[in-house]
Amino acid sequence: METVNPTLENELQHLRERLQEAEEMHRAISHGEVDAFVVGPGGNGRVLLLANAYQRYRQLVERMQQGAVTATPDGQILFANQRFADMLDVPLAQMYTAPLESYVGLGDRARLSRFLMLSARDSRIEVELARRDGSSIPIRLSVASFADGYATVLVTDLRPMQWPSLAVGALDSIRTSVEKLNRSLAGDAAARDTLRDISEEINGLARMIDQMLDVEAMGGPRK
Amino acid sequence: MISANSASAEKWNLRLYTAGQSPKSLAALANLKRVCDEHLAGRYTIEVVDLLKNPRLAKDDQIVAIPTLVRKLPEPLRRLVGDLSDTERTLVGLQLRPRS
Repeated sequence: METVNPTLENELQHLRERLQEAEEMHRAISHGEVDAFVVGPGGNGRVLLLANAYQRYRQLVERMQQGAVTATPDGQILFANQRFADMLDVPLAQMYTAPLESYVGLGDRARLSRFLMLSARDSRIEVELARRDGSSIPIRLSVASFADGYATVLVTDLRPMQWPSLAVGALDSIRTSVEKLNRSLAGDAAARDTLRDISEEINGLARMIDQMLDVEAMGGPRK
Repeated sequence: MISANSASAEKWNLRLYTAGQSPKSLAALANLKRVCDEHLAGRYTIEVVDLLKNPRLAKDDQIVAIPTLVRKLPEPLRRLVGDLSDTERTLVGLQLRPRS
């Protein structure tokens, strides 16, 4: 009876297992069961995601109510979502590879360049977005991630945050007018009662706005 | 090969390599937990290694494609590539069921 060299037998078994693993990997890839690969030598590997792995996040970013932009260190737009295009009133397709600085006010461009070059997670600046029709929108740019030299920036429209302050200003103005009216109607008791009611409603609204501002302040410091 | 009987007393140490919350990574984790609950209840641990956070860890188990499941214990080490959606194949790959 022919004997088999144990070393060769072990090697053969090892090679069979390696072949089986390679075939299994080939099957998994061809059946679409993987969505990322590790590439690069030794311990310096990087993970490359296949396009379908991004799909869910991409849909989320496309539909969110905050603008999102990915830009190179020299400020070229690599990606922008629909919300950002809507803020500017510019077709989305027109924005790719356009300089981000062309969409901010002249006075903010140098600050924006520094911001993109020195981007660090959670850093932020406030600038004026220059719209196509000549109007401007105050926005906050916050770095969401910074990888491979590219900054992904969230764009927040600051106008809604300014509305409570504007409302407080308007209420103060109304209150002053009511007080003036109150003095001129000194002899009319019925009119004074009505004005007192209006005054209380105004004070109630002012308190509500103050509370809204407090909640906002707790959510994050307003710059 | 480890039979279902001999496997019944052993502790299973499994490591799943994922790429963040990619769809295939999430599917693999869900499928793995289901298989483990059905066949290894109370005798397994799953360690999830997110290679998006730390790609260097891929070197430890020579990971090329993601998701990949590595059976660390019981020995011998076994690797299963893919989302583990084919339960039969997963059971055979983990040697919980003999190859037909």
